[in-house]
Amino acid sequence: MQKKRIDYSQFLSLPALILFSVFFVYPLLKGVGMSLTNWDGMGKASFVGFKNFIDFFADERAISDIRTTLIFAVGSAVLLNLVGLGYAVLMNSSFRGKSLARVIIYLPAIISPLIMGYIWYFLLQPGRGFLYHAFQQLGLPDLIGNWMSSYPSALAVLVLVNVWQFAGMTMIIYLAGLQSISGDVLEAALIDGATPWQRFYRVTLPLLMPAIRINVVTNIIGSLSVFDVIMSLTEGGPGYATESLSIYIMRMCYGSRTGYSTAVAMILFLIILVPVLISMRLTKSKA
Amino acid sequence: MLLVAAALCSLFAGCSSPAAETSEAPPAPASSTEPSEQTPELKDVDLAFFTGKVETVDLLDEIIAAYNAQSGGITVEQEYQNDASNIIKIKFASGAAPDVMTTYEQEYVDQGKYLDLSDWNDVWDRLIPSMRENCTDLNTGNQFRVCTNMTMAGFWYNKEIFETLNLEPADTWEGFVANLEAIKTAMPDVDPWFIFGSEAWHLGHLIEFMPHGYIKAKFGATEAKEAMLANDKAVLNFGDPSGAMATFASGLLEVQSKGLINADVLTATNDNCIDAFVTGKAAMFSNGMWCLSSILEKDPSMADKIGFMPYPSMMADGTPMVLVAEDSGYSISADTQYIEEAKSFLEYLFSAENQKKYSESLGSPSAFTDVDADWAPAAVVEGVNIAIDSAANIGYTNEKPAGFSGDDAGRMVQDLLAGRYTAEQFATAYEEAWDAGFAS
Repeated sequence: MQKKRIDYSQFLSLPALILFSVFFVYPLLKGVGMSLTNWDGMGKASFVGFKNFIDFFADERAISDIRTTLIFAVGSAVLLNLVGLGYAVLMNSSFRGKSLARVIIYLPAIISPLIMGYIWYFLLQPGRGFLYHAFQQLGLPDLIGNWMSSYPSALAVLVLVNVWQFAGMTMIIYLAGLQSISGDVLEAALIDGATPWQRFYRVTLPLLMPAIRINVVTNIIGSLSVFDVIMSLTEGGPGYATESLSIYIMRMCYGSRTGYSTAVAMILFLIILVPVLISMRLTKSKA
Repeated sequence: MLLVAAALCSLFAGCSSPAAETSEAPPAPASSTEPSEQTPELKDVDLAFFTGKVETVDLLDEIIAAYNAQSGGITVEQEYQNDASNIIKIKFASGAAPDVMTTYEQEYVDQGKYLDLSDWNDVWDRLIPSMRENCTDLNTGNQFRVCTNMTMAGFWYNKEIFETLNLEPADTWEGFVANLEAIKTAMPDVDPWFIFGSEAWHLGHLIEFMPHGYIKAKFGATEAKEAMLANDKAVLNFGDPSGAMATFASGLLEVQSKGLINADVLTATNDNCIDAFVTGKAAMFSNGMWCLSSILEKDPSMADKIGFMPYPSMMADGTPMVLVAEDSGYSISADTQYIEEAKSFLEYLFSAENQKKYSESLGSPSAFTDVDADWAPAAVVEGVNIAIDSAANIGYTNEKPAGFSGDDAGRMVQDLLAGRYTAEQFATAYEEAWDAGFAS
């Protein structure tokens, strides 16, 4: 009689499963429970059903924060991909000092966004910042406006700072994609008489789709949960004009509305889940 | 597996759950007179002292080291946190409240987090009576903190500029604006009034000291505070288009449109303000006594050039106002097992000798009658005393709705200065936000 063998290998996944349960599943379930209460973070909590969710959609500030977060995410994702792709195409060509240029473009990505926000704050301060003085020396002081004092320009500054910081990271992924494209394919297109634009648009771009997908999705997810660069550059101001949902959650939590802030965190979770699911769907259909 | 199980057990043991699961009513404020389980004798204990006052950390480290050396077994350890008002909430929630703390909020008083210190007569007998009043909780009539110092807030101005232009501190808003205009005309490169509006608390203070100040001066501190607690609209009248809040907003928009405040009002910081004042690029700004040390640190020669004046009255039936309030409050946790030890430490800290050092280091007058400290240059002290004698003295408002903080109010002023509101809209929005703060 043959002895049945036990496959111990499946137990190897147990530590990972336990850690996943403790650090993701348990907090998520706990969060769902908490989001249905009026807990203030310390005292007695009472079950309030979906009141927190209803209150959220009735709060003008919260709706404005959703709008700000979405504009920031979409604006950042579009620009990051355009700039990152441009950098990657440039870095894929041959020129002197390419390695140095690549390092310079990537360097901001390794700095904390919080520090980056403060650096840009001191660069951009109207009448006091480094750029103001630099342009003043050039006789162009009016080029630096009071950009962080109004909603559209403050949001534009935030998007641009975010793009400036993370374009290098997007570039690296595109560069890897570009370098994986076989030279034979491009050569065949050249022999067929394709112009440089046709080669890029008809050959390179379709072959870059996996890199585009990764970049778009990761950029949107990262930008939807933006916190630090806004905190350090505008603190969500003026007023609450550039406040993101993450900052709103933090302020509600510290404002003795822990149950409500947890409900908002659940809503943000669902908002972020959308691009993730789309990405998974696209990846699946591609496969 | 055993290791993972052990780690899990310790993780779950550390998790606290919302009180929903315990469903206990908030405890009544504790009293130091109630019989407690601990022995009255001082024990060998470690006391946790929590503070958010960065300006006192070094001096307190020094005093604490001296105390620890002679305490006979009590070791005090100071913890400073920049975001103290938020972090104390986490400490309370996790059951890790410090034994002694400087953070004080009405909601924690209501939840019974602080020890009742009302019968601590050795300390109260040494304190200026009005300061004990300021330390009194309106709801219970008891004291849950001891404030060792007083602070004032008003307009700091450059005396040299005022003397050069023959200006006098103004009592009325019209006179105040006339002064600003005179400075702007004579010195176009100088910002007549510097507002560091990137820091919401500063703008919140303007509301606190001006429109709220008008209410406190008109109705008296106690009645105004009671009205704020009860949201008595007949007294507060925030939404009235001709009331104090709309007048304040209208005044700010007026000085902004005339270029009488700094153009970068929404991005300027406290440091920018101090720099501008010290270098003569700002003629005046609103702030509390706590800014004095920063000014003198930047330029000690400013000692003779700093003037202090009350907030002008913006309303026709108002009076000039100056904030005279309690500062440096110390509370003991209601949950501490070491009440006597905590009191022993505070009594050491409150000694006349230590309070003289503290007062001089902080640049703030002592609230103890037996402390004679040189807390500021003589010219500043004289200016402050004149301002206090000539204006209505208003205190801080701790009696605000839980869901509407001073920072929230400051952010509304940012919106006002960014052009989101007219004065009337601002008053209406402020009233709505105040009401909503009570509901949340």
